Amino acid sequence: MTIQEFKTVCSTLEQEYIAKISAAADLNALEELRVAALGRKGALTELLKNLKDFSIEDKKVAGPLGNALKAALTAALDDKTTALSAAQLNEELNRVQIDLTLPARPTAQGKRHPLSIAQKRMTDILSKLGFTWAEGPWVEDEKHNFDMLNIPLHHPARDAQDTFFAQTGSPLSMVLRTHTSNVQSRFMEKHQPPIRIMAPGRVFRNDSLDATHSPVFHQIEGLYIDKNVSMADLKRDLTAFMKGLLGDKTEIRFRPSFFPFTEPSAEVDVKCVFCAGKGCNVCKGTGWIEMLGSGVVHPNVLKNCGIDPEKYSGYAFGMGVERLAMMMMNIKDIRTFYENDLRVLNQF
Amino acid sequence: MKILYSWLKDFIDLDFTPEELAQQFTKLGIEVASLEKKGADFEGVNVAQIIQIDNHPDSDHLHLVTLDLGGGKTQRVVCGAPNVAVGQKVPLARVGARLGKVVLTPAKIRGVVSEGMICSSDELGLTNTRARGILVLDEKIPLGTDVRSLYGKSDALFDLEITSNRPDLLSHYGVARELGVLLNKPVKLPAIKEMKGQGPSLKVEVKDSAACPRYSGRMICGVKNAESPELIKERLSAMGLNPKNALIDVTNYVMFELGQPMHAFDRNLIDGDTIVVRRAVKDEKFTLLDERELTLDENALLIGDSQKATALAGIMGGKNSGIADNTTDIFLESAYFDAPTINKTSKKYGVSSDSSQRFERGADIGMTLTALHRASELLVAACGGTPSEIVDVYPVAFENPVVSFTPAQINGILGTQIEEEKLKDIFGRLALKFTAGADTWAFQAPTHRRDLNHRWDLAEEAARFAGFDQIPAGTSRAFVSFTDNPKGVDLMERCAEKLCALGFYECKNIDFLGEKELKAFGFDPKNTVKIKNAMAQGWDYLRPTLLPALLKNIEFNQRHGQNNTALFETTRTFSLTKGFPTETYTVAGVLCGTLPAQPFFAPNGQKPDFYFIKGAVADLLDGFEAVQLIPSEKAPVYMHPKICMDIVIAGKKAGVLGALHPLTLRTAGLKTNEVWAFELALKPLEKLFNAQLFTPAKAVAAFPPSLRDLSVVLDKTISYAQIKTVLEKTALPVHLHFDLIDVYEGEHVPQGKKSVTFTLAFSAPERTLKDKETEDAFNTLVGQLKEKLGAELR
Repeated sequence: MTIQEFKTVCSTLEQEYIAKISAAADLNALEELRVAALGRKGALTELLKNLKDFSIEDKKVAGPLGNALKAALTAALDDKTTALSAAQLNEELNRVQIDLTLPARPTAQGKRHPLSIAQKRMTDILSKLGFTWAEGPWVEDEKHNFDMLNIPLHHPARDAQDTFFAQTGSPLSMVLRTHTSNVQSRFMEKHQPPIRIMAPGRVFRNDSLDATHSPVFHQIEGLYIDKNVSMADLKRDLTAFMKGLLGDKTEIRFRPSFFPFTEPSAEVDVKCVFCAGKGCNVCKGTGWIEMLGSGVVHPNVLKNCGIDPEKYSGYAFGMGVERLAMMMMNIKDIRTFYENDLRVLNQF
Repeated sequence: MKILYSWLKDFIDLDFTPEELAQQFTKLGIEVASLEKKGADFEGVNVAQIIQIDNHPDSDHLHLVTLDLGGGKTQRVVCGAPNVAVGQKVPLARVGARLGKVVLTPAKIRGVVSEGMICSSDELGLTNTRARGILVLDEKIPLGTDVRSLYGKSDALFDLEITSNRPDLLSHYGVARELGVLLNKPVKLPAIKEMKGQGPSLKVEVKDSAACPRYSGRMICGVKNAESPELIKERLSAMGLNPKNALIDVTNYVMFELGQPMHAFDRNLIDGDTIVVRRAVKDEKFTLLDERELTLDENALLIGDSQKATALAGIMGGKNSGIADNTTDIFLESAYFDAPTINKTSKKYGVSSDSSQRFERGADIGMTLTALHRASELLVAACGGTPSEIVDVYPVAFENPVVSFTPAQINGILGTQIEEEKLKDIFGRLALKFTAGADTWAFQAPTHRRDLNHRWDLAEEAARFAGFDQIPAGTSRAFVSFTDNPKGVDLMERCAEKLCALGFYECKNIDFLGEKELKAFGFDPKNTVKIKNAMAQGWDYLRPTLLPALLKNIEFNQRHGQNNTALFETTRTFSLTKGFPTETYTVAGVLCGTLPAQPFFAPNGQKPDFYFIKGAVADLLDGFEAVQLIPSEKAPVYMHPKICMDIVIAGKKAGVLGALHPLTLRTAGLKTNEVWAFELALKPLEKLFNAQLFTPAKAVAAFPPSLRDLSVVLDKTISYAQIKTVLEKTALPVHLHFDLIDVYEGEHVPQGKKSVTFTLAFSAPERTLKDKETEDAFNTLVGQLKEKLGAELR
């Protein structure tokens, strides 16, 4: 064989096997081709046997040619092997049949109580608005629950609260706190302004248990005391709070009201979120929903807590958690919260 | 407070519709609880009688009704009411009649023209709710009668919620006065004819002028008690009062009109000629008009004569001096009593009246004489008689304080920029005296506004009368500081999140329980906070444990078909420590039935055992050092005596976990006898908890461990804890990690023995162990287990 003939055979073999490899139908056919081309008695081995008869110069040409042919065929075989195994795997996968529409396997998660969910929404927003969490006792003395908050003894405002009285060994007359406002007097007594706190928690009223009343319910209180705090600061912060709670389009309005611990006092309404203020069942056609009570902290309250009302001023607001939860979660009866019926609890 | 629109108009010109007036009230901060329209707001409706009913040719529920209008005239109309019947007398509105704002025109109803309609009560505006059919009138009313004459003229009754700081709004004149300020309209008192008195009145001696700063009165002699005039009767009925007789009705009428409570005594039942205002003597007995007998203490204020008490001042008269039909001479009281004195007595004896409700909020000390003249005039007109001279004991004339302020301060409180002229105008209308100096302004409120004592009060008035919508949302200001949540709050939240992840549902329960439950759970009532005025039996104590309520929740859910319940609550529990109330953040959980219920995948669920609830507790306590779970030496009465562990934190018992005692469950009415439970006080964890702490990571072994299985047979009575201690305490030159993989008792081990199997992982931080090292360590452990616990390699 001449070197010319060797070159021609190389080129012919390459064309022939590349075409065969490319056309191989499966991995078995491919293996046969590998043996036929590169095996001990394969075409390439046979061809390379001619090398021993070549001159040194011819060997220098023929050797690399033979190696290149081997590399090309090996690469082609590897590529084809990868492609064919992928195809074979896909074929197997495509034979899989399971019913994907069967129900999801339930995870073993429990749920938070709707009142916790509502309260957490509120505390999260207030927290973003810079209010820190403060706590106070639930069994409270009358001084912190009433007197310091400008609700004097023998005043009808005090009677209106339907107070539970607790029997303890304390020399002070103890009550179950009737509002979260006791945290105001507790906190201001110990801290000078600036003060910016929220106080969520349980409160107690000696009310009958019916669809709209419960002797135990939840409030959340906000208090901000600093220099030159006004009703306008209150309106700004409550607008932000309500937008956080009910959405960016929420509007609020102030209505005059009376609370012993604020002066001026304002009832805060939000534009009905169910009808955008057009009037519906929830807002009883008025377009507005009563949301919370608020006002400028009464100078007597500041004075009682050791804060100079000539130097500092502030606002306070208080809101019912049940009220919000009932409205937003479509719960018609306040007792629902305290029955803990799993059929209800697992909806939230 | 009920306010009749027509009565208001006695004092101020108003041309609002009732709905518009309600909006004005809302603007002022006076909540309108209800608005009830009264009387006839229609014209041209007459009484007619149904004489014939035919079916409508094109409808199965409409009828063609022929009516007799009187005077031989008839009319046929279409009517769909279900209650229509021949013979009924009904209100018929013919074409041209007006119903409210609607004027009737002919209407074609399914092809038949109807020239009128038979009205229902709501179509006539007589009721607010939809009536179910036509209004059927008394058959004795003559045909053709104008139906208006049966119902009187139109009016509106507002029920206003007056806040306790505004007693001046507890009268028609007071509400008119408030509207006058808002609308800048004149408000006039009724034209009172002041009658000159003849002859002296009874004398008045006030022994406690702090409790009774003013006492005015007069006699009217020679009256003849009679029925009140129609107007008074009508108006009192609207207020919800039954008119009795003129002598009593007039005092009430004046109270609703001017806000001044009054009382009339029968002069001839008063001994002597002096009225004495005094405190009661201790244990003094007094019988009220309504026959209730009171035993008073020295704080009660009484009106009396030389012999006896005749009235509980400002609250209610006595049975011994009340007005009767044959009363001829009266003494009329118009006084001002101190608000706290009246509130205290009213509350203490549980006696409340329209009068006490006004006095305890604060009446108008400047109104006593005006009211006395008004009542005299009305009484003499109704009952005749001659008024005496007036007695008026008023030693110190009351004046409200003068409030000095600047308009800038008012705007500062409100965050507004209300113009000075506007503020001057508002304060001028409100004040008794008002001067606007160059720097400071001075405001003095009239006697009926005792609530205006500070500039803050005036700021509220400025905002109310200028409109609360004047208050803008302020521009942003920043106040930044960081204070962490109270630790207990964060701990409760952490527990709640973990328990939810384990499948528990959060509950919220009312904080009360009864003595029975208290004792069933082993608590001493003496160390528990008792509620003095509990609202129901079984709700007498503040709960020291959350478990009883959670059992009730299981019971409730079982009754409603939910047998698989994993519930928890986290809140405060209460106890008394040396008599003082202590509140502790607590978490408790109960587990009953299977977990979780998965109808398709695991129809029988997975039945949790003790180790599940132990796992839940371990998870709650994960990350805390110094926490141990130790088998209880003596389980609490409500727990299973043998399946109960103490949760010990920093050496102190902080809770329990285990199985509840089947008797506890039976008492709670549960259908099951297996409930797993835990309760844990979070206070001891507060000291160990640090919200700012990041957990530092430990290095992960770089070289693979050598694994060996270890199976030993030992006495059944030896606990896992004992084996664990040996494995942990044995000193080894290599690191050991072990996992329990099996505990076996049965035919393959001798009686009274058990087999315990571990996978042991031996390792060193910087290299792979040689077989010999592993073997030596393994043998050391086997030797120790044999020596300490008598364990044999299996």
